[in-house]
Amino acid sequence: MKITLQQISFFLILASLVILPFVNDSRTLIILLTQIFIFGILAMSYDILLGYTGIVSFGHAMFFGIGAYTTAVMLKQMDATLTMFLLSIVTGMFFAGMISFLVGLLTLRLKSHFFAMLTLAFSGLFLVVAEKWRSVTYGNDGFTFRAPDIFKERITFYFFVLACLAVIFIALYRFVNSPTGRILIAVRENEQRTKSLGFNTLHYKVIASVVAGIVASLAGSLYSLSLRFVNTSVLTMDITLDALLMTIIGGVGTLVGPLLGAGVIEYAQHALSGLARDYPIFERWIIFFGILYILAVLFFPKGIIGSLRMLFWKWRSRRKGNKKSPAALPHKKERFE
Amino acid sequence: MELMVNLMINGLATGMLIFLLAAGLTLIFGLMDVLNFAHGGLFVWGAYAGIFTYMYTESFLIGILGAIGTGALLGLITEKLIITPVYGNHIQQILITLGLMLVLQEMIKVVFGPNGVPVKTPSYLAGSWEIGDVIIIKYRLFIIVVGFVIFGIFQYMLKRTKIGLIVRAGVQDKDMAQALGIHIKQVFLYVFMVGAALAALSGMLMAPYSGVIYAEMGMEYAILGFIVVVIGGMGSFSGSLLAAILVGLAGSFMAYYVPVLSLAVNMILMAIVLIFRPQGLFTMRKERST
Amino acid sequence: MMNTLLKLNDVHTHIGQYHILQGVNFEAIEGQVSVLLGRNGAGKTTTLKTIMGLTPASKGEVEFRAQSIRKNPTYKVAKLGIGYVPENQGIFADLTVEENMKVAMRKEDTSALERQNYVLELFPDLKKFWKKAGGHLSGGQKQMLSMARAFINDSKLILIDEPSKGLAPIVVEKVMEAIVEMKKQTSIVLVEQNFIMASRIGDTYTLIDDGRTVHTGKMEDLVHNEELKRKYLGIG
Repeated sequence: MKITLQQISFFLILASLVILPFVNDSRTLIILLTQIFIFGILAMSYDILLGYTGIVSFGHAMFFGIGAYTTAVMLKQMDATLTMFLLSIVTGMFFAGMISFLVGLLTLRLKSHFFAMLTLAFSGLFLVVAEKWRSVTYGNDGFTFRAPDIFKERITFYFFVLACLAVIFIALYRFVNSPTGRILIAVRENEQRTKSLGFNTLHYKVIASVVAGIVASLAGSLYSLSLRFVNTSVLTMDITLDALLMTIIGGVGTLVGPLLGAGVIEYAQHALSGLARDYPIFERWIIFFGILYILAVLFFPKGIIGSLRMLFWKWRSRRKGNKKSPAALPHKKERFE
Repeated sequence: MELMVNLMINGLATGMLIFLLAAGLTLIFGLMDVLNFAHGGLFVWGAYAGIFTYMYTESFLIGILGAIGTGALLGLITEKLIITPVYGNHIQQILITLGLMLVLQEMIKVVFGPNGVPVKTPSYLAGSWEIGDVIIIKYRLFIIVVGFVIFGIFQYMLKRTKIGLIVRAGVQDKDMAQALGIHIKQVFLYVFMVGAALAALSGMLMAPYSGVIYAEMGMEYAILGFIVVVIGGMGSFSGSLLAAILVGLAGSFMAYYVPVLSLAVNMILMAIVLIFRPQGLFTMRKERST
Repeated sequence: MMNTLLKLNDVHTHIGQYHILQGVNFEAIEGQVSVLLGRNGAGKTTTLKTIMGLTPASKGEVEFRAQSIRKNPTYKVAKLGIGYVPENQGIFADLTVEENMKVAMRKEDTSALERQNYVLELFPDLKKFWKKAGGHLSGGQKQMLSMARAFINDSKLILIDEPSKGLAPIVVEKVMEAIVEMKKQTSIVLVEQNFIMASRIGDTYTLIDDGRTVHTGKMEDLVHNEELKRKYLGIG
């Protein structure tokens, strides 16, 4: 079997993340990294939609929230064991899959604006339900719950999340490189033409939305366990915005980009909230992200990874003297509608 | 009876405010094919700029003018800096206008402080009239009147003036309008500014009605605006008036009879309309699902 | 000496990633009807759109009255005095006939009103349905309205795309008569599939095939050139 450069770097990075806690077991660092991994999973799931299929969803928080609440409610109401936790992850994924399937089937026929708006409304609906259904969710106040004993130790949870991240990364990587993934890219590039080639594009868009929903639910489950607390904030627009920001800044349609984006954004949030103690303007760090995000969409639509890739291709083609351009770069303008 | 009338007036007043917000959205969409997710930001900026002007000058009217001016100015900047560069690319439009929404909302907190600001109704609009058993709150009636007046003015402009003709022609066929010598991008800019000014006016008028203004109100009402635009039919001006009244009334009656459902009812309504009648309830125009 | 009104020199146009026009040369002479001929998909409609700036040329030169208009936005091209009657007529369906005329009229002066009276005499149907919505007109009436609209602004040149398409023969006859009549006041570029019609009213022809100009000359010469007709038009 041929081992590629990508595989080597994947294992190197994974190995160093495994070793890291033994070198530096700073609690803050472990918590921050756990957080980055969780949002990395969320951002990768968003990338399946935005980057690979070209769908803008404003309701991704819905699936994150489903996972978060399923885990929280099951651990609280039933039993705080590892089995229960794993069961809650699966249950959350099942619900998220069902709902993304139904919502997708109903809404993915619509044009991008309407889809974006409808997902916004659907996730708004979930938020309302979570706020009103106080007997289970305790509304806006939320509730705390006990984590399984094995995760009392932050390190074990760190490893668990890291394992999830690695598995999801490999799974999604295979997914986007599978025949189905290729068709998703074709849909992104030109839906009309893909349709005229005889593909039922709705079918493929629904698949993308189900995959994204399931993975987002996993991120939600991990998130609520990491806090041992859940409230309605897991269903708010902020979560969707985080995912968007990470995906765009890291680089849409690259999978690695959103991971990197999650690192950048989470770290920046951490650092800026530290700065905010001295300089109050940093309390509004979201503005900086907002402006950064707008600038990224305008001038830097490929994100960090995408842009690096472009540079790499240019460099290589200059060196080799061939003019082959990189295949299927994301964010091509929609021309035919 | 008394209850009915009050709920009706409530619903109408809310409906009118949503209409002002949605009118801009629908015109911008119809003409430019841009769904402006930052519209709520213009709304909340109108509210803050207007109310602070009002508190400073102690004149509600100047406050209103301040709101309209702020809206138009923000509209100008938004169109030039944010919308024009991504013209024709839907995905970028959606992403960038949402980003702008976020920035506008957070800027409110930086400029005016993060906490809500209580707002008083100007004395001449405060209080109520009693007609028999029915108590009519003056300010609500005021909103309804303003809403209808603005609807009337716009309807007249759209139907009877050359500018209105050009806008309507542009909504239907941009290329042909240009081929007849109309500088459509200029028209886009003006329509965007007018739409932004309407959103700002809506925010300003909403302020005394809700009694408090806060940064997040932009997104909350923008969602109602989207719902109205969808129900009324994208690009349809009178459709959005009808839809806004429907949404306002539904909200007001639901809030009284089935409060649990009051927030959800509009979203469900919109989902149903989008799925089964995506061209909107009140239009018979072209298809728009792909 | 005949004046060249419009001149296209080696024009190339891309739409998206497709290279549609790959070297179109074309001239329209003042006071004449210049006909663009060619098979379906040869690039005739795109040529008109390129002149109007709707699908701007990526290479080559477009000159109108000896002035380059290649980089002009559509509305400026129109203001220079080029009227456009697209294939689908481009009638604003929700606007009445009157409003369609009004929206086209850039200056409402006496000369514009005179021209309006003139076209209304040419197309009495429009007068009859003056208050009717454009969307409710018949195909022929839409064609007439579209031509009237292009004429109203003292256009020096009118581009007409397949006016006979989908119309009953008797209506086609009327449209053709109107073009002949309009020729007295303006110049016309005509895209037409119906060769019999085109040959009757055209003065010169330009044959386009696969996005390239392949032949050009006087219409009467083409009428007798069976080989050209067979090769590029599939008739004869």
